[in-house]
Amino acid sequence: MTFEEAQRELEQIVQRLESGEAPLDEALKLWDRGEELYRFCKERLDTAEGKIEELASRAEATKP
Amino acid sequence: MKVEAIEYGDRKVYSVGAFNRGVSSWLQRLPTVWVEGEVTELRRSDRWASVFFTLKDPQDGSCLGVSMARGQFDALRLELVDGDRVHAYGRPELFEARGEFRLRALSLERFGLGDHLAALERLKTKLAAEGLFAAERKRPLPLLPARIGLVTGNDAAAKRDVLTAVTTRFPPANVLVAETYVQGPRAAGAVVEALGALCREGVDVIVVARGGGSFEDLLPFSDERLVRAIADCPVPVVSAVGHEQDTPLCDLAADVRASTPSVAGRLVVPDLVQLLERLDRSRAGLERGTRRSLERERRRLDGMHERLGRAPRLLLERRRAKLEQSAGRLRALSPKGTLERGYAIVRAGEQIVRSGGTVQPGELVDVELAEGGFGARVEETR
Repeated sequence: MTFEEAQRELEQIVQRLESGEAPLDEALKLWDRGEELYRFCKERLDTAEGKIEELASRAEATKP
Repeated sequence: MKVEAIEYGDRKVYSVGAFNRGVSSWLQRLPTVWVEGEVTELRRSDRWASVFFTLKDPQDGSCLGVSMARGQFDALRLELVDGDRVHAYGRPELFEARGEFRLRALSLERFGLGDHLAALERLKTKLAAEGLFAAERKRPLPLLPARIGLVTGNDAAAKRDVLTAVTTRFPPANVLVAETYVQGPRAAGAVVEALGALCREGVDVIVVARGGGSFEDLLPFSDERLVRAIADCPVPVVSAVGHEQDTPLCDLAADVRASTPSVAGRLVVPDLVQLLERLDRSRAGLERGTRRSLERERRRLDGMHERLGRAPRLLLERRRAKLEQSAGRLRALSPKGTLERGYAIVRAGEQIVRSGGTVQPGELVDVELAEGGFGARVEETR
């Protein structure tokens, strides 16, 4: 699952819940799933390390 | 020229020298032509009568050895370096002593600006006809790339601009930088290699960034190999090469064209602050929506409970009403009403007397009235 997919599903769930049309069982399931998606997205943002790496390319090696 | 062969029975055999002479004389009948390629491995010595170099086809890497009289070569003052594109006018020849095939150049011209422009235009038309620049081919950029590839020159301001833009907007970004040649004859091949290396390392999107430069400086970014490599790249490519007015062909083949390296940097990452806000809004909506569902459900349950509480009383009332109704009907049927209207019930023993014939004069009977009753004796019967 990509970040986008998770975010899109989360927003669809919120829409469904806010419409108030979901029966309780479904609402609780949606809430569980929504929390899971939220945690997934949050984790993706929190665990990104923010590093800049250099790729030592072959072109580098053959530089005069 | 007659080439002598030695006969061994049925077999005709040529000496190496004879073979080379024969091929050489045949080659000499070929016409003089222009050949285009990139100069590599230029070898010149004041002690040699000829200069030697290899012409390389930038498309497929085919090579052709070339020799040219040193005097002629020097007189042209071309000051060629490796990678320069030239047109060589000459004819094929075989260097007999070594059996080496090559082009004997009679004249040599640097491939000029006009030629470059014309070649570029031809290439553009050809690649456009193949659909390489078609809008349908353009892929969307990932919203949140796990790792971004950056192809750029080693000291380039372009590199700094991309990195600054990326990390300002999205501090936790991961960027893998492939420094490479971004001008000169090796640039196209080096950039193609860098694209491949980044893809092998695993990136979600690649930015190719190079600052402005002269027409010649940017030529590698219109090289057919490079343009094709960008079009074929397994992940989306953002091209930020040169200035707004330059349109190297790589810009056309890329999925997104950015006017500057900074713009490219902003395009490949989301705004972290906005992203977090959006995520938090979603979460708040999740709670609000669930609470709303719960409350509605609770209200429904309360309603049911109330109705349940009312149920026994309703049942009782209904029973009572039914009972009253039955009692009414019972009363209507009971003889009591009749007695109250003045009638009497006469019993002889246990039997109700309905006919005069069933009793005898002198017999005792019991008379029941609405209120009380009395005993009587039959006087006569009719």
